[in-house]
Amino acid sequence: MRTLIYSIRTALSSLWHERWINLLSVLSISIGLLILGVFIAVAFNMDSALKRWSKNFGLVVYLQEGLSSEAEEDLRVFFLKDPDIEGVKYISKEEALQELRRILGKNGSVLEGFESNPLPSSFELSLKDKSLEPPVVRRKAAQIKLLEGVEDVEYGEQWLSSLNALSGIMKFGVVFLGGAIFVAIAFITYSTVKILFYRRRDEIETLKLLGATRFFIRLPFLLEGLFVGISGGAVSSLALWGIYSLVLHKGPEYLPSISGFLVQLPLTAYVPALLAGAVMSFTGSLIAVGKIRY
Amino acid sequence: MIQFLNVSKFYDSDTVLKDVSLTVAKGELAYITGPSGSGKTTLLKLIYCAERPDKGRIVVAGWDLQKLKQGTIPYLRRNVGIVFQDFRLLFNKTVFENVALALRVRDAHPHEIKEKVTGVLKEIRLMHKADVFPSHLSGGEQQRVVIARAMVAKPTVLLADEPTGNLDAETSGTITDLFRAINARGTTVLIATHNDSLFHGTGRRVIHLKDTCVEKETVG
Repeated sequence: MRTLIYSIRTALSSLWHERWINLLSVLSISIGLLILGVFIAVAFNMDSALKRWSKNFGLVVYLQEGLSSEAEEDLRVFFLKDPDIEGVKYISKEEALQELRRILGKNGSVLEGFESNPLPSSFELSLKDKSLEPPVVRRKAAQIKLLEGVEDVEYGEQWLSSLNALSGIMKFGVVFLGGAIFVAIAFITYSTVKILFYRRRDEIETLKLLGATRFFIRLPFLLEGLFVGISGGAVSSLALWGIYSLVLHKGPEYLPSISGFLVQLPLTAYVPALLAGAVMSFTGSLIAVGKIRY
Repeated sequence: MIQFLNVSKFYDSDTVLKDVSLTVAKGELAYITGPSGSGKTTLLKLIYCAERPDKGRIVVAGWDLQKLKQGTIPYLRRNVGIVFQDFRLLFNKTVFENVALALRVRDAHPHEIKEKVTGVLKEIRLMHKADVFPSHLSGGEQQRVVIARAMVAKPTVLLADEPTGNLDAETSGTITDLFRAINARGTTVLIATHNDSLFHGTGRRVIHLKDTCVEKETVG
């Protein structure tokens, strides 16, 4: 514990004495984390927009002609019990015809050629968020199609696949960029710690001769790297908060179309940058002190 | 306390020490002397494991250095105080902090550090300069701080490499008196010097090195 306190004091003192090199590292780390933060903010907004759009997505189950009302009720109850289905809406033949007439407007006269209503009754099923994965929807549609009384099942397969592909690309982008920035930040801290180590080699030599263990010598450098990372994370979080607040409040003035797209980032969205800065820098410091021979 | 048995040390093809055998008893104050390049500094470095012998066996305060692992060296060094000619003080730390370092590496309690450092600074008559940085001290004062740092943790062995090399005669006398006082408390002291006046008339054992070997032992 006393060694830890001494190491913290030594690390803080070195942060101040070597403030220019440390400041440079903090800024480099914060820029890296800010790029990642901006990308995550864009991905977050896109994801929430996709989720909102997905709410309108559903399966349309067309029923066989002449199905009894009891059989239709059985199907409705069956759908309500399904854990993947969030909502069930019944559209009768008449309602379907009215809707078609409304859509066709003044061209509705084309329907007068039919002796009877050619449209089938149907169920519109909305699915839960967790079930909006293309394979799940595909499997669900195939299962429903096999049910007695069901004529056909339709859903926007291409639309759903596109949405999922876009979401996947964004997630991959975050992971890829995150990985690249992790390596970059670890390298920045690695180099910083190495430089600091060599600048203090006389002091280290003296400590060694006084009987200091490797842990005693290395701990202040690890802590200094950690503090640099946390500072970089804090600066990037503040910058992201400032930039995002500015975009949120001033953005729609210049680009009205983004007003429906932007959502408020939760406060917890700013914490990962702090943690990422700390973890990445600590990793860099750990590699640096591990590799230095003394 | 210190035992060398047929110790040899080579740097590439150069022989620095050859078949050196010597013993320094517990509580003894002895000198090693010889011309430059005779191996005095290397001999001391072998004692505190800054160098490893290529041949032979060294035992220091019961530690067989041949069997000592790298991770155990710090614990050996806590039993060996070292005084250098070039002082090796940390110039960004005060006199108090420089002396306290020897205790901090041992994870000593702050109360213990304060008590022991204050005590040793009073002993070397530098208490009034406890908060001064080394750059504001004279050469003699700096060397006294180094001795204070070496003795504050009460090591069993104290090594000094040309401790008066950069000092005038009067200051050298003060430093020599300090070594005698430390030795009087039971610490084994080994001083490497090429300065004859340091051991003349002391009645202490002097080990003479010449051409990498022990030439003779005399009484100063």
